[in-house]
Amino acid sequence: MSIRGKAAIVGIGETPTDRLGGKPGEPRKSTAEYLAWAARLAIEDAGLTKKDFDGQGLAAIYTTNHSQPFWPEEVAAILGITPGVSLAGGNGGASSVSLLGHAAAAITAGLCDLVLVIAAAAPFSERGGHRGAHGDTRDFEMPFGVMGPNCKISFVMSRYMHESGMTDEHFGKVAVTGRYHASLNPNAYLRKPITIDDYKKSRMISDPIRLFDCVMPANGGKAYIMTSAERAKTMKKPPVYLLGWGECNNASYGPRYRANPLITGITQSGERAFKMSGVAHKDIRCLNLYDDYIPVVMIQIEDLGFCRRNDKAFFEKTDFTFKGDLPIQTSGGMINCGQPSTTGGMLHVIETVRQIRGEAGDRQVPNIKFGISTGVGAVNYGKNFGCTAAAILGSQS
Amino acid sequence: MAEEKVAKKPLPDVTPVNQPFWDGAKASKLMMQKCTNCSTWVFPPRPVCGDCASEKLDWVQVSGTGKVFCFTIIREVVGTALRGFAPDIPYVTAWVDLDDGPRLCSNVIGCPVEQVKIDMPVVTVFEDSGDGITLPKFKPA
Repeated sequence: MSIRGKAAIVGIGETPTDRLGGKPGEPRKSTAEYLAWAARLAIEDAGLTKKDFDGQGLAAIYTTNHSQPFWPEEVAAILGITPGVSLAGGNGGASSVSLLGHAAAAITAGLCDLVLVIAAAAPFSERGGHRGAHGDTRDFEMPFGVMGPNCKISFVMSRYMHESGMTDEHFGKVAVTGRYHASLNPNAYLRKPITIDDYKKSRMISDPIRLFDCVMPANGGKAYIMTSAERAKTMKKPPVYLLGWGECNNASYGPRYRANPLITGITQSGERAFKMSGVAHKDIRCLNLYDDYIPVVMIQIEDLGFCRRNDKAFFEKTDFTFKGDLPIQTSGGMINCGQPSTTGGMLHVIETVRQIRGEAGDRQVPNIKFGISTGVGAVNYGKNFGCTAAAILGSQS
Repeated sequence: MAEEKVAKKPLPDVTPVNQPFWDGAKASKLMMQKCTNCSTWVFPPRPVCGDCASEKLDWVQVSGTGKVFCFTIIREVVGTALRGFAPDIPYVTAWVDLDDGPRLCSNVIGCPVEQVKIDMPVVTVFEDSGDGITLPKFKPA
């Protein structure tokens, strides 16, 4: 039994992102408020009411400042619903894409016919909820001054530049494209267009990672609602079907003690998603890829098979804008819309839904039927991402 | 906010699983875990082999020579946990591929940061942190 086309997204909700609480005296909102806000927006978008979710599915994503074992139940309490099926997203930034498959499976198996997938975080408003570093990071990275994810991805980027010959020009082009799309997205946070020169002049943080390579932490909440293909046809908004899905955790390319960091589990996740969907690469008109850092976007384009490995010429000749050859990061990505902890990755699901519905306004990709979204989580010791997921969405089942 | 006079650098938690690594470093030996069942290197230390799930893991001394696989030059402190590194900036952290062992994350010291390159040969130096832990670092070979 395949879940292909059996479930669809019928509601999306995205609060504006902000950085309130970063400075003394600023007004603050709690994670609970962003959760309730995101749920309300998604439920309204679907034309449902909160009561419709009693006895149905709730999928809550663990965030870094609210990581406790009964989090899905607490989210149900915050939202005031009584779910019959509880799913937990424990795959970090990959969770919102992972849960597309898990929710579709629950719906296809008849466990429920509505699932609300939700996450929110308020790292600026709720300081003090710091999660201690775990084992390998604490014992074998921090004593050597590894300065968090900026530093970990700079290892990957330095090797990527060494093997591919990519330069500032290549990374800058992707950064400029993302910001251009953000300038056309009223929900984006950083909306002032930039040039390649601005990128090159942005501050070096951890060579070769510059400020404009990095995602921006933020407060905010996001949600989407899935239902069965049958029920989706009766709902307010045009259904966006889950056609292909794949997940891969703890991937390693080469021996685990010396893995190739330039290949990620998105390779396997993407292969599974394409195989399930039967959709050809040329028919995917929009790539919304998890973007904690600019080079991570580029490596995923390679992982998904849209070009060869280290294909410098491809990055030079391809127009990645929404009207171009291969539109990517059409919302501006998390880099420009902000990353509320593990909530951030849901941006890429919501944006693909908007594009396929034709609701993307000034950045609408023309004639789009299919799009792909990815998620990644956990930057593990000595290799690339621990959790990855990819999903192909489309307007037809 | 007033800064502490001397911010401490974070140190590892020495656990039963990783203790031979840190004991070895204190004795100026680079010790690595190897699976006796499938012969693969296991690092960071684990209670079971990450490849074949065997619990039969040995500790063996490696030569401590290797090459820089990739690296970064840290230009600023991000957050508070690592503010003890502020006086060291700029400094190099790198993944080093050992000639006869696994890859590990460490620092390349003993040369200007601009001189560090990918594939550069390096050799271990043991640096006493002064807090009961010796850190294996690397310098140009």
